[in-house]
Amino acid sequence: MNDQLSRRGLLGGAALLAASAPGVSWAFERDGNRKVLVFSGNQAVPVLDPHIRYDWSTRMIQQGVYDALLKYEGDPPRIVPWLAERHEVSPNGLTYTFHLVGNAKFHNGDPVDAEAVRFSFERGLKLNAGIAWMLKDFLKPEKIVAVDPRTVTFTLERPFAPFISYVPWWYIVNPKQVMANQEGDDLGRKWMTENDAGSGPFKLRRFDANTLMHLENVPDYWKGWPMAEAARPSGIIYRIIREAAPRKAALQRREADIITNITPDDIEQLARVPGVAIENHKGSTTFGIKFNCQQGPTADINLRKAIAYAFDYDALLAITNGFAALMTSPFPASMAGHIDVPGIPRKDVDKARDFLKRSGTPNGGLELEYVHVQGLEEARRVGLVLLDSLRALDIKVNIVGQPWTTMTSRGSKPDTAPNMMSIYVTPVGTDPDTVAYQYHRASWGLYYGTAHYDNPEVSRWIDEARAETDNAKRMALYARIQTQIVADQPEIFGMVANRIWARRDYVNGFSFSPVRFTGEIDLYPLWVAG
Amino acid sequence: MSAIAEETVAAPPRRRLRLALWLLTRSFSSMLGLFLVTAIVALALLGPWIVPYPDDVQGGINLANKLQPPSFAHWLGTDEVGNDILTRVIIGARISLLVGIGITVAAAIIGVPLGILAGLAGGRLREVIMRFTDLFLSVPGLVLAIALVAALGPGIVNAMIALILVWWPGYVRLAEAKALSIRDEAYIEAARVAGASRARILRRHVLPNSISPLIVKMSMDIGQAILAVASLGFIGLGAKPPTPEWGAMISIARGYMPDWWWYAVAPGVFIYLAVLGFNLLGDGLRDILDPRSNRG
Amino acid sequence: MAGYILRRIGLAGLMLFGLVCLTFVIANVAPSDPAALAAGPDAGRSQIEQARREYGLDKPLPEQFLRYVTDLAQGNFGRSIATGRSVGTDLARYFPATLELVILAMLLGVLLGVPLGVVSALRKDGPVDHVTRIFAVSGIALPPFWFGLLLQLAFATWLGLLPTSGRISVFTEPPDPITGLLLLDNTLRGQWPLFREALSYIILPAIVLSLPCLASILRVNRSEMVEALRMDYVVAARAHGVTPWRIVMVHALKNAMLPTLAIIGLRWGWMMSSTVLVETVFDWPGIGLYAVSSAIAGDFKPVMGVTLIVGLNFMVANLIVDLLYGVLDPRLRRA
Repeated sequence: MNDQLSRRGLLGGAALLAASAPGVSWAFERDGNRKVLVFSGNQAVPVLDPHIRYDWSTRMIQQGVYDALLKYEGDPPRIVPWLAERHEVSPNGLTYTFHLVGNAKFHNGDPVDAEAVRFSFERGLKLNAGIAWMLKDFLKPEKIVAVDPRTVTFTLERPFAPFISYVPWWYIVNPKQVMANQEGDDLGRKWMTENDAGSGPFKLRRFDANTLMHLENVPDYWKGWPMAEAARPSGIIYRIIREAAPRKAALQRREADIITNITPDDIEQLARVPGVAIENHKGSTTFGIKFNCQQGPTADINLRKAIAYAFDYDALLAITNGFAALMTSPFPASMAGHIDVPGIPRKDVDKARDFLKRSGTPNGGLELEYVHVQGLEEARRVGLVLLDSLRALDIKVNIVGQPWTTMTSRGSKPDTAPNMMSIYVTPVGTDPDTVAYQYHRASWGLYYGTAHYDNPEVSRWIDEARAETDNAKRMALYARIQTQIVADQPEIFGMVANRIWARRDYVNGFSFSPVRFTGEIDLYPLWVAG
Repeated sequence: MSAIAEETVAAPPRRRLRLALWLLTRSFSSMLGLFLVTAIVALALLGPWIVPYPDDVQGGINLANKLQPPSFAHWLGTDEVGNDILTRVIIGARISLLVGIGITVAAAIIGVPLGILAGLAGGRLREVIMRFTDLFLSVPGLVLAIALVAALGPGIVNAMIALILVWWPGYVRLAEAKALSIRDEAYIEAARVAGASRARILRRHVLPNSISPLIVKMSMDIGQAILAVASLGFIGLGAKPPTPEWGAMISIARGYMPDWWWYAVAPGVFIYLAVLGFNLLGDGLRDILDPRSNRG
Repeated sequence: MAGYILRRIGLAGLMLFGLVCLTFVIANVAPSDPAALAAGPDAGRSQIEQARREYGLDKPLPEQFLRYVTDLAQGNFGRSIATGRSVGTDLARYFPATLELVILAMLLGVLLGVPLGVVSALRKDGPVDHVTRIFAVSGIALPPFWFGLLLQLAFATWLGLLPTSGRISVFTEPPDPITGLLLLDNTLRGQWPLFREALSYIILPAIVLSLPCLASILRVNRSEMVEALRMDYVVAARAHGVTPWRIVMVHALKNAMLPTLAIIGLRWGWMMSSTVLVETVFDWPGIGLYAVSSAIAGDFKPVMGVTLIVGLNFMVANLIVDLLYGVLDPRLRRA
């Protein structure tokens, strides 16, 4: 009797398993007779509104759904005309005039006109979130004028050389759709969270913030498509898989066609899988360990220098399996004006000891805190490297992972900022000002200014360079800025990790641009062969 | 009350112990539990002297040697910074055991006096204590602990604080129930009439009678606390590197699945065996010391 | 009886309020600056200050608390600071996924736990009993996150039988939900291929989640059965030639019903809470995953929302069990 019972239980279990084995679907999915491409990354896309939020995954989707006046393309990045077929600048560097293409249409059929451009910039400035910081101090909403349906002018408060480098991130939304869905005076903010008012190559089909985005191709996109009509995919799915291992498995099983956020160790494995190609490109995201330059032991430049010379830079390359380049300046190599600063510290324990002797703690014997973003594996491992390196100076390291909010809040004041804090910074444009400004006195307390670095001369040079319209003079200023920052050692200049994607080899049209964020790609030119 | 239990209570201490031991040795699963617990305790005590690479838990890194499969030099392979996994899991036993015992003892120290107080005092005080306890009991422990650690910041001490905060109410319940059940027993009444002070009643009658279920619960809870700390570690809210905490190790190892699957296996097996050991032992102890409460 | 029910409901309400206070306190001991999170990574000071005003974070704490409670009373869970999305909407979206997982795990626990308990009681102290005992304790001792990883490794990666993670294929656009539970919806609609697909995604997480519950149910049924088999009338029935099968069905299961029910009630809330781990491993888009990803980002409104929802489940399940006990077993009815 008992045997009978248990056997029945077993059979039941077996039947259940057999029933649940799915017909695993190989190869890309089709929608009608066109293909759907699947891109998988780890990060959700909570808000689609281009004037509220951006991060790599969000902006990738925004770039698909929306167009801007200009667009970044290629490596090295170039700014190409998009909704604006051309633009000019007044000689005093204050007035920018954009001439729009005539045939651009929003997804609902409305034309993209100068009023839409004016409205979008005004909305971005008024909402004062996301992208607003880029232009807020230089552009007032009332100084944007729709001269005629195809011409719009921007008059800046004062000359601001980086202006053009930010314009590609200001996406144009359809004022009619936005205002029709306004609640209270929210400028359509609530509706725009999950809805599309764009003119881009894709329109939104499904939006599930934590699981997937399904973008559907706009067949008669005003700018046309770069691939043959027959090869044009029906759409792209962005699938969120939070963990590296299942994401990799999805690529191997062809449940995903492109993936990102791959650990360096996985890259080598994936490269050996037939049918998988690795996209490996020089990035622009700098990784540095910012010291607290105002309070605590690291306020002492000699200690900072000692740590910088004790640090094992080669270990950074080992951690990334060589998929990174060491920084040779505070600027990433892809940035205009970058120079290789001579004498930037590399591991030299004798020098480190010399500097330590000149510091307030000549024999070490202290403990320093190293804070990194909780859950960032690479930053955690750098912490281990730091801990290992500083043992030579008899300095202990307390490795602390904290949520981003706690880090920024601690980093906002010199007396709460940790001794050392690892920070990734991705320049938002191609202009050197975006990187240089983090060393300006005015950046104190913002996440990239947690070093509380203060060199009045450097701050003054940065201001001068911002307003300088002569490019050669500007670049000379930036060279001086870089050299001085390295001399002051407000941080350990770490590395610029490569940007890496793995794709099936039938995915074509992949185009890399270092100005995009880590993981972010341009979805527009992608197509599937065969 | 079953015959065995009566005997356990009535017999003199020496005989009671012998009987308990005899009962324990008769049960295969209890012996397995005892064996596992002894092994874990031994590893925890001897750890630093028996591990092959003691430097590997202090943050020594050896990137040239990372992610090696199990070999003669590294029985369980090496991890992502080239540390010996065997060394780290063995030292991990120390941390887990300490944390598990720490949480349980702290929870009992907070919970038991409150429970006895509630049980003996009765009235409004009892109502307040018990409602407060119910509040904590009605909160999903793990979710609350996650919220707490997220707020306090990750780290082994904060994880312990969070878990103690969600753990103590169980002991209030237990102690209160015991105190209540004893309060009305005839012999306590008699003692009170005979002029025994409250403290004396507490010491002579309430505590000894609560001790068996307490030991059983604590034994089970050490296992569960080890599991809970590992869970927080897995979510990324546990021990800080380079502390070799089992859950945190799995959390990192997970990123190296499936190609380096052995990395995740070792710490998991240790958690499993440790928790299994304490649970089996607790189970066996319950059968002997507290047979009436043999419930799920 | 009515008085008892009212009293219980009143108490549950009081505790819910206590829970609200508790979560609020926890969310505000964090030394972080939520406004910086709301304003985004590159925000300047003016954006951060604007975000602070927008989310009411510039108000004194008692006022923030009052606002939170009044909002909750109107069913408004507030907005997530990291994303600006309404927590209520997000919870409504993710809760069905968790509910489905918990229900299926519970079913597995009952369907396997009861018979295994009976079997091990019938073979008390034999090898089968020891094996099931170790199995049962293992159910509680296995770290669910680790076991989940192993199952993924075996069934998805090595055998390729089941998908690794997620709730349904990204290519499947499920029709509008009826209940939000995919298995149930597809049964109601008779869409068997979709049903099979959903089942293939849910089965591994459900197995992992069910183990502790299965273990408890097994243990209870075993001990009830052992006791039942010792009863005089069972011994008498046996002597009269009633088949053992009948004895099991009629007496033991009847006895085990109440405690099993109690365990379901107790484990219900507990499972809601431990889905956190299972959902993290399987990328299951439920409230547990939502809570963890928010907690790690330092975004407390969603964490508070999830804690309240799970706490509510805890309380309601306990209430129902208590009331059912009252109905089924009048001896236990208390004043």
